[in-house]
Order: sequence, then C-alpha cells, then structure tokens
Amino acid sequence: MNILEASAVTKHFGGVAALRNASFSLRPGEVHALIGENGAGKSTLAKIIAGSVRPDSASIAIDGRPAAIRSPQDAQRLGIGIIYQELDLFRHLTVGENMVIGNLHFRESGWVDFRRMETFCRPFLDQVGLSGNVRRLAGSLSIARMQLLAIARALSMNARIILMDEPTSSLFDDAAERLFGLIRELKGRGVSIVYVSHKMDEIFRICDRATVLRDGETIATVEIGATTPDEIICLMVGRNLTGRGAPSAAYPGTSDPGDPLLAVDHLHTSKLKDVSFQLRRGEVLGVAGLVGSGRSELGAALFGLDRIRSGAIRLRGSPLQPASPRHAMRSGIGLVPEDRRLEGLMMNMSVLENGTLAALPRMQSLGFLRAGQERRELAAASRQLALECASLQAPVATLSGGNQQKVLLARWLLLDPDVLFLDDPTRGIDVGAKQDIYRIIDELARAGKGIMLVSSELPELLRCCGRILVLCGGSLAAVYDAKEATQEKIMASAANLASAPEGAG
Amino acid sequence: MRHALGRAQSLLALTGIILLAILISPSASDGSRIFLQPGNLTDILRQISLIGIISLAMTFVILTGGIDLSVGSILALSTTLTAMALTRAGSSASYTGQIARAIAFAVAAAALAGAANGAVVATVRIQPFVVTLASMIGVRGLAKWLSHNENIDIGFGRDVAAQFASVFREKAIVIGAYACAAAVFWVLLARTVFGRHVRAIGDNETAAEYAGLPIRRTKVWVYSLSGLLAGVAGVLYTAENHQGNPNAGVAYELDAIAAVVIGGTRLSGGKGSISGTIVGTLIMGVLTNMLRLNNVDSNVEMMIKAVIIVLAVAVQRADS
Repeated sequence: MNILEASAVTKHFGGVAALRNASFSLRPGEVHALIGENGAGKSTLAKIIAGSVRPDSASIAIDGRPAAIRSPQDAQRLGIGIIYQELDLFRHLTVGENMVIGNLHFRESGWVDFRRMETFCRPFLDQVGLSGNVRRLAGSLSIARMQLLAIARALSMNARIILMDEPTSSLFDDAAERLFGLIRELKGRGVSIVYVSHKMDEIFRICDRATVLRDGETIATVEIGATTPDEIICLMVGRNLTGRGAPSAAYPGTSDPGDPLLAVDHLHTSKLKDVSFQLRRGEVLGVAGLVGSGRSELGAALFGLDRIRSGAIRLRGSPLQPASPRHAMRSGIGLVPEDRRLEGLMMNMSVLENGTLAALPRMQSLGFLRAGQERRELAAASRQLALECASLQAPVATLSGGNQQKVLLARWLLLDPDVLFLDDPTRGIDVGAKQDIYRIIDELARAGKGIMLVSSELPELLRCCGRILVLCGGSLAAVYDAKEATQEKIMASAANLASAPEGAG
Repeated sequence: MRHALGRAQSLLALTGIILLAILISPSASDGSRIFLQPGNLTDILRQISLIGIISLAMTFVILTGGIDLSVGSILALSTTLTAMALTRAGSSASYTGQIARAIAFAVAAAALAGAANGAVVATVRIQPFVVTLASMIGVRGLAKWLSHNENIDIGFGRDVAAQFASVFREKAIVIGAYACAAAVFWVLLARTVFGRHVRAIGDNETAAEYAGLPIRRTKVWVYSLSGLLAGVAGVLYTAENHQGNPNAGVAYELDAIAAVVIGGTRLSGGKGSISGTIVGTLIMGVLTNMLRLNNVDSNVEMMIKAVIIVLAVAVQRADS
C-alpha cells in the first residue's frame, strides 16, 4: 500500500495555474524524485503535501486514509516533514531551540530547560551525524550542517515522509555525498523520501522512482532502473511542445550580423565564472539555464548590481565597468528584473508614475514635472505594448501580472537603452500578454537594439532568439544557434549531462 | 482612489472635532462661542505652526521609509544660534541686515545638521532611527555647550534682538511662515521630480535602485530639508519666547511624527501626502484648544490625544 497518495491537486497563483490535476504516490521506504523544469510545479506540490501551501483542491490520503492537511502542524501530526531549499531555520536561535520550537513531540514546560532539550535532541542529532553543542547558534553552522539540522528536526517530529526541496542546490560535492549516505540510511529505516530536484545524475544515483511534472501536470512516474536520463528529459520538455510557439520567421540577425554592440570577455563575478559572449545590434540573445545557474547574475553584472572581479565589458566598442544600475542605465543598458513586485514596481504608485519613473529627467523643466508630456509619452508606449488599464492614474497594484509587466517594459521603452536584459519577462503571465511581449522583443530587435532574453521556457527562447547561451553553475556550458538548437540539447547542457558542449566560449 | 478615501477620512475626523469643539465651547459674556472667535482660531493656527512646519519635512522623511528624531534638538540649536547671533551682533550694519544674517546663519547650521543625518543614513546605511537618535543627543549637547547651558535672553528694548522678536512673534508672520512652507512642500511633493523620487524610494527602494533613481542624493536632501525646517521653527521659537533656549523643543519630534501619522502617511513609507499632514496637525491643534477652553486637565489631555492617535491610524488601516 502507498504511504502517500495525492490526486487531483490543483493550485492557482493569481490566475496562473501552478498545478493542474496533478497526482503523486509514494511507497513506504522509497526515495522518489519529483522532477520537472523550472515552474513545472514540483516545489508547489511538495509544499502542498507539507501543509505550507493550501491547494485549490486536492485529495490526499496517508496510509490509505483520507487526510486533511491544512497547516504544517497537520502535516507534522501525520508524520510529514519538509526540508526547504532556503532552509527555514531561526539563525539567531540555538540548535536545540530550532529543534524543539513548534515541535509537537517536545512538551514545553514554559521554562527553557537546556538539559531536557539536549536529552530530547541528542539522539536525532546523532542520527544525522551532527556533533557539537546544542547551545550553538544555528546561524553559526555551515550550510551543509544547517541542512543536517533541518533533517534532524524533521526526524524529531517523527517524520515518516521527508520532502527535500532541491537539497543539494547550495552544497559542495563532499557535503552532497554525506547527504546521499544519510538518505540511504533513512531509507533503510523505512523513511520515505521525496527528492525534488532537476539534477539528473543525483536522481539516478539515489532514487528508486521518479515522477515527472510539466506545466503543472503529472506526465509520468517511472522506475529509475528501467529508464535513461534522455528519456526523462524528453518527458520533462515534452515532444509536442514545439507547436506552442512555432519558431516564426527565423531571426534575420543570425544571417546578417550587425555591429558588435556588447562584448563580454572572461567575466568573473561572485556567481559567474569566465563568461564570454558578444551581442550584436538587432540580435535577440537567449540565456538558458536552471535556477541558480547564473542567468540572473549575468544581468546583475551587466547592470552594475554585482561587482565584477575580472574580465571586460565593452559597450559600443568602449570599455564599461558598470558601477551601479544608475551608471549602467546612463551608459545605455536596461534591465527588467525577474521579480516585478520586489524589484520592479512601486505598488502604491499609479501606472503613469511607474511607467515614467526612469525617464523623468527629460520630462521636467527646472525640476517641475511636465504632466502633459508624461501622459503623452506613456500613452504612446502603452499603445505600443497593448497595455490594458482602466486609466493611467490607476494604481499599478490593480493590474494583472501581464499588464504589470508591460508597465515595467514601458519604463524601459521610454528610456530606449541600446541593450535590454529581460529576466524571465513572461513568467506567470497570460498567453495574450506573452504574445505582446514577443512582438515587442521583435520590434526592438528590428530597431537595432540588442536584447538578452532569460527564460525558463525553452520554446520561448527557440521562438524569439537568434542564438542561445546556456549557463550551468555560473559558467557558459554551450552556445547554440537557434536553428540547430533543440530543447533536448539545451536541457542536456543546462543539466551538465555528458554530451559535449558545442562552441562554448 | 484609496488615497483619496484616506484623505477624506482624516478630513472627516477634522470636521467632527471642529463640530464637537463648537458644540462644547464655553460662551463669552456676549453669548458667542469662544472657540469661534477670530482671536481663538488664529491662536490655534499660531500654536500649531512650529510643529506644523517641522511635520512638513517630517512627511518627506517618513515617505522615504525613514524617521527623524533629531528635529527637536535641531530646533534647540537653531534658537540658541539665533539668539547668540542677535545679542552679540555689532552695530555696524542695518538692523534688517543683521537680522537676516542671524536667521540665515541659524537655519544654515540646522540644515547642515540635517544633511549630516542624511549623509550617514544614505552612505553608511545605518537605520534612520539610530542615526537621528544619536544626533538628537549630540545636537542637544552642542546647543547646551554653545550656550553654556543657559538661556540667552532677548530684552524688550530697541536693540536688534528685541526688534527681531517683536516682528517675528507676530501672529501673521508665524502663520504666514507655516502657510508658505506648506505651499512649497506641497508643490515639491506633488509637482516635482524630487517629490516623485521621494515617494518611489519609500514605496520600494530595491525597485528604485533598479530604475536608476538617485537614492543617496534624494535621502541627503530629505534629511537636509528636515533640518532646515526645524531651523526655521527654531527662529520663530526664539522670537515667540524672547530667548534662545538650548532646552527647547523636547519631544517636538514626537508631536510632528504624530501629526504625520494621523494625516495618513504610512510609517513604512511610500504612501502619504502633505495635505494629510496639515489635516493631522490641525486635528491635534483643535483638540488641544478645545480641551483647554473647557479646562480639561493637561494630563487628561495627553491621554485623550493618545486615544486619538491610535483611532486615526486604525481607521485608515481598516480602509486600505
């Protein structure tokens, strides 16, 4: 009998479906991978099982009995523990306090009793191999040890099912090795483990089965012993996807390269290793890679947000060392950030105020705003973008995700930079808005701009770009011409599979 | 829309308090209500002017997500410097020139103290609360040290200092100064690039950085303006009290912050208005006047004010 059975799991985030009727089942004592591209819904599914995200609808059974998981406490009672990617530890509390806080299996007496806490924690810390004082601050541990602490905490909550969300994303090789050993040990003791990851090699080393998610749907569950990495990649990207955004008229820039606009030479930052490439006028250059591969950090380096350790950037032939976003912007580089709410928009301000914010220097005289010019220019930009809003005075918070993204694009259209770095601009927006954004990208390229487009959706890159850079672990893993690129090739490079990188550097 | 509603609500509160004040106002011998006498109404305006002036720039500071606790001490520095400059003025220049120089000197020093606040907040990136708490202590110390811990009295004779006091304690001058400052700061917030930047930075500083806004420069200006207006208030204080007082302005920062908050400006920044702050200042002023006309114990007055502050913010919170 399955220890966990989840079916018909549906979840929307603000109108965008993260999970559509997904299902998942887990056997006792198995290590089961949840795998899929970025945004496939694997983390959301794990969080729903752990009670930290409430589904729109779901039917979940534990040990064959229907279970209502409405909160992390409910999950804890059912023996479900989760290790989050970002490790939800209290860094300013001690190791012991981290283990007992919110722990239903530790009876609180109202007083902090370090001896009782130690007696309670020690066996679980020993199990994961975490020695040392329980009175140390959790924040003083290395990332790897924090992760062991999080696992010990899950064990102390009597977890029979442990979900691990991308547990090795911040671990070095030897720490990852130790984690795998621990996983095997836990499995031997009958603990079931859900391993959320997109690292193929790890999955093939430690997992028994894998469930593949794509676009929020469960595609298949396969026995690891009876499949190959290539087969799983095919399931992840889906054979039929090429029809979704047919690579319309192959980009002209590839056949007729314009002037080199931006040249990046052996760029090193804290997150990037030896990245070199050129961007020509009129070119749309795709940037592919998994989360954490350095694709956003490439934008951060170009836009003056990350310090450049070594290497050179040349813009229009002259050297550029972007010191701040303001400096990069004045030099002619723009960036539409990945998270439009946190990094892009002023949610209390209107569409107009958000749209013209960066271009105010030319919409003023003696510091006074020229309201008429502001309205005219933004109205023109919003027509070009097919922006839909009740009025330009409407608070930007009342707009849909796609229209909010268009406001952000309008901000840069008004500024008209030579190089525009778009960091996943279509994430979480509806199909119509996506098409508008593709059209704008094409128009900007035709106007001689250089566009860099980061995307988690490979068909999108294949549709929009002339060439595609693939990043992996902060390095350039491959460069593909859009004509010869396939989703399989890109995924293989991004996941750093054996296939030799082509034309890198 | 939400913004307009919030403003309407604080206006509604002001109307309510004014009506209540009229209703319970004691009557004069001729039967008219004392509250409504022109003399009383202008008294209210004069009484709120100093806090009113300080709270204008405080609105800008709070809009950026900051706070300025040092305005009371800067006021003390300004009043001390004004009185010192006037009482020690030589007799060479005209009175007008001497007075102008004394005021410019005191206000410039106050603005400089504010600029120092801003520079530390913007470049060292210590929380504004801590920075201005430190300068609240330090600037108070400076004012006391300069004056040797003594009040600098201004007489009633015909000397420069006395002339200055007799002019700048006029109701019309004090209220006029507040009205001018209010108009300037309203325009600054609603009609200039600077004002737009102030709101954008407070709304989302990360996004402001990504939009290439001059964050540091804007913050230095905002705290400089706060110092400058505290300096102006200090000059008026000197005239009103006929002395430079290094112990003046204690807890003024709290009254100013209260006025801003009652006026609907969010302490976390990004949302608020000058008109709201003016309404907030008026609410506090009318309330004080109403209670005093009815001989309410000043300690009870403080308790009632406390309730009003919480109520005003709760109503606005429920609205948004």
